[in-house]
Amino acid sequence: MTVVELALAIVKILIVVMFLLNMAAIATWADRRQGAMVQDRVGPNRAVVYLPSMIVRGVVFFPPALLGALAVFTATRAMPAPVAVEALVIGAQFAVFVTWLGLLVFCAAARRGGPINAAEEALARFDPRSIFYAGVMAHVLAFFVTQAVPLSAAPTAARVVCVLLGALLVVTGAYTALRVPEGKVALRLLGTLHAAADAIKMIWKEDFIPPKGDRLLHSLAPLLAMFPALVTFAVIPFGDKLCFEDNGDGVFGFADLPLLKRTVDQAFTCGGHVASLQVADLNVGILYIFAMAGTGIIGAALAGWASDNKFSLLGGLRAASQMVSYEVAMGLSVVGLFMIYSSVRLGDMVQWQAEHAWGIFVQPFAFFLFLAALAAETKRIPFDQPEGESEIVSGYFVEYSGMKFGMFMTGEYVELITSSALLVTLFFGGYHLPFLDRDGINVVFGETVLFQYKMTHLAVSLTYALAFFGKTILMTWVQVFFRWTLPRFRYDQVMRLGWTKLLPLTLVNMMVTGIVVLAVDSAPEGLRSGLQVAADVSHALVAVGGFAAVVALIAGLLEPIDRQRTLASTSARFAAAAGGTKASPQQA
Amino acid sequence: MEPLDRDLDEASLDLPSEPMLLNMGPSHPAMHGTVRIVLELSGETINKADVQIGYLHRGFEKMCERGTWTQVFPYVDRLNYVSPMLNNVGFALAVEKMLGVTVPERCQYYRVILGELARICDHMICSGAMAMELGAFTPFLYLCRAREIFWEIFEEETGARLTHSFGRVGGMARPPTPDFKAMVRVGLARVLTLISDAEKLILKNRIFLDRLDGIGRMSQEDALALGWTGVVLRATGVPYDVRRANPYMVYDRFEFDVPVGTRGDNYDRFMCRQEEIRQAARIIEQALDQMPDEGPINIDDPRIVLPPKEEVYTTIEATIQHFKIVMEGIKVPAGECYSYTEAGNGELGFYLVSDGSGTPYRVRIRPPCFATTQGLSQLITGLMIPDVVPTFGSLNMIGGECDH
Repeated sequence: MTVVELALAIVKILIVVMFLLNMAAIATWADRRQGAMVQDRVGPNRAVVYLPSMIVRGVVFFPPALLGALAVFTATRAMPAPVAVEALVIGAQFAVFVTWLGLLVFCAAARRGGPINAAEEALARFDPRSIFYAGVMAHVLAFFVTQAVPLSAAPTAARVVCVLLGALLVVTGAYTALRVPEGKVALRLLGTLHAAADAIKMIWKEDFIPPKGDRLLHSLAPLLAMFPALVTFAVIPFGDKLCFEDNGDGVFGFADLPLLKRTVDQAFTCGGHVASLQVADLNVGILYIFAMAGTGIIGAALAGWASDNKFSLLGGLRAASQMVSYEVAMGLSVVGLFMIYSSVRLGDMVQWQAEHAWGIFVQPFAFFLFLAALAAETKRIPFDQPEGESEIVSGYFVEYSGMKFGMFMTGEYVELITSSALLVTLFFGGYHLPFLDRDGINVVFGETVLFQYKMTHLAVSLTYALAFFGKTILMTWVQVFFRWTLPRFRYDQVMRLGWTKLLPLTLVNMMVTGIVVLAVDSAPEGLRSGLQVAADVSHALVAVGGFAAVVALIAGLLEPIDRQRTLASTSARFAAAAGGTKASPQQA
Repeated sequence: MEPLDRDLDEASLDLPSEPMLLNMGPSHPAMHGTVRIVLELSGETINKADVQIGYLHRGFEKMCERGTWTQVFPYVDRLNYVSPMLNNVGFALAVEKMLGVTVPERCQYYRVILGELARICDHMICSGAMAMELGAFTPFLYLCRAREIFWEIFEEETGARLTHSFGRVGGMARPPTPDFKAMVRVGLARVLTLISDAEKLILKNRIFLDRLDGIGRMSQEDALALGWTGVVLRATGVPYDVRRANPYMVYDRFEFDVPVGTRGDNYDRFMCRQEEIRQAARIIEQALDQMPDEGPINIDDPRIVLPPKEEVYTTIEATIQHFKIVMEGIKVPAGECYSYTEAGNGELGFYLVSDGSGTPYRVRIRPPCFATTQGLSQLITGLMIPDVVPTFGSLNMIGGECDH
């Protein structure tokens, strides 16, 4: 391992750990703390940081202004044709994005705080959703218009678009800065400061060890619970491999880092040095994850034993038996995937999914089995018997306080993020996006090429990484959703489900998959190419469905809340007369 | 070095196993801070359960003996603190029975509507808390939101959200507000939609049903022998509802069904509560239609009901009358009586003894929870620890009225 590889590894570890810890804090907030907000209880979720408006103006103005300056600077540089095309496309998309987002923000501000000029008054009359829909259409239109620009005119067009984008960013930033009200501005960040408040609280709380407990094991358990959760992420690739060209000395050195290859082909033929975007590319791959997840049991069991508390003991026992049982089902449920992907390395699995179809389409049954086993493994509702707060108080960590408790919590939520990342990697194509190949967008069905668009290596790699983190966040949200909806099983029901339902089903899944894989391998060529077309259709489904889902989600968020108000009680009426807004529960 | 197996015979190689004693409560999330169950466990199975009550004992009955009859109302608020209005009405009816008076019709309807609103609140919170303790948090939030609507109505009518102290001997503290009917109609419709929303989340959920179905079964005979009343008795199949069996106030004028279960398990208790909410809504709708908009709320008897404030401040007769009622209390004729109503958890009885002075000689209550809680240990013996949670939750044991 060269020095530069070591440095890259450290950077990758930092990225992963930062992502995990930040997401864990936000997930804790979404999972545990929202209750306080829903019930309108006063708590740290109301925490506000007051900023002087001058600082807010700076925060609002400078980042767009910097980006704008960067865009204008790009315009002044010499641009060879392929770069110009890319700059043109990205610049145009970015400009459209800034325009509709800016209009949306100004529209919302005008609707909420009242318009301050005639333009805003006109803007406020629009439905925010129509602004968004127009923006989406403008995105598509801009893409095809920029495609139509001939190669010779690309550099000029790119310069114009970049300058335009720069001006747009500066104007939007300046106008937003103008809209910042005088005086103090409250920064609440949706209550996510609650997570920060929690962390501060936990650090300063008393670290209690039960007098008759085992001091060493009691202190060791939270470490053992948190460590495996963090390290399992190491083998999950969060982006495609990067290819650096050699500067002539044949050794991967720091001088090679700026020489990122401009474009790579689909097969990734890289003459220089390859750096993968995963902390450790182990050849045991997913087996490492199972091994590490298995260690997590020890933390819970030790905590239950060392706490000298009967509730803890029950919790520890439940945790140990449940996690051991579901480990079996979890491991067996993905055997079918191994057969299809013919690899246990997660990078290879993502590559298979990119070339064929996503795992959810080839192993839908295994997905649900694996999801259930994973929920049991991460001890989340409906499998949170080890914690079972209404039965055995808090289970194995009932005797923990302060940061040791915080470590259990962090471990649990890091596990949640890691499990989401694992689900994404195994079943949702990892970092892959439909039709986005290493050399750009290729809409291909079987042998029929419908559309092609070349992209640079950097752009593709960045999109891949963003796609991976986005998918992981989405999957986390789905798991938080489960927790808010489902009740929990009884302990014996969990065990029965694991051994008598999940385990046989995984075995059946394994056998059926084996037969199908053998059949496909010995199938005639025609059938196999048909399967490839079906796989491409699945990609198309994902692309269309995903696009529609994103549009529907944003439109849904923008939907004006139609509140039906009945001021039935005098207190509500008094408040309304005084111009206040006592939220009457009679509102619809 | 000594041999390790120096005096081990075959029998002592078995692991020693003795039942584990586990104190569940009173500070335990599922025990509401009001009860302790000493469990004898083998593994997670309950071999023996010793239910210990008394953690909310406040000497309520003794306290009642040191004030006037009217001063008992704040105490009865705190009996079943989930549905205080029903206790208020129950106690007012008991004293009125001793006095031999009947409140005007408008007041009877008013009491019925407020009481049924309180019953809906009671059942909603019981079902919601049960779902929450099983891990389903969202239905609880929905139902809390629904309860909030009714509490707003109570706040508007009585000035207090929870401990109303609104009942009076011979009437109510205040007449209904002009918007009362409109408010209840709007609120009731919203609450019923919220309840169906909450039900949709849990009643088709296999996990939830598995936790309730067939757990904590009680036979009809045992339930009757234990003196169970209310929802828990009806869930075993006995159609005993005081409102139907012995109609008080104007309950004989309404059409409503008495839901009964078949097996007396947690599921039946849960579903009976949900159905009773709907029946209570039916009663409220009929009562709203039948309730006259005009007419007195309090009986016209200056010895029982306080005179209007403007007369107290302007005429000497009213001042003296006010003084006598407040300082000496209402003179309830000597004697004793037992009066019972259908409260949130079942038959709430008041056994009153009067010596003819303005102060109760003895107030003895018959709380429905006391009888219900007796059956708890029988219900949970043989089940597992997690089953304690829904079983205890479905009994809706309220410490305030149990520890009397």
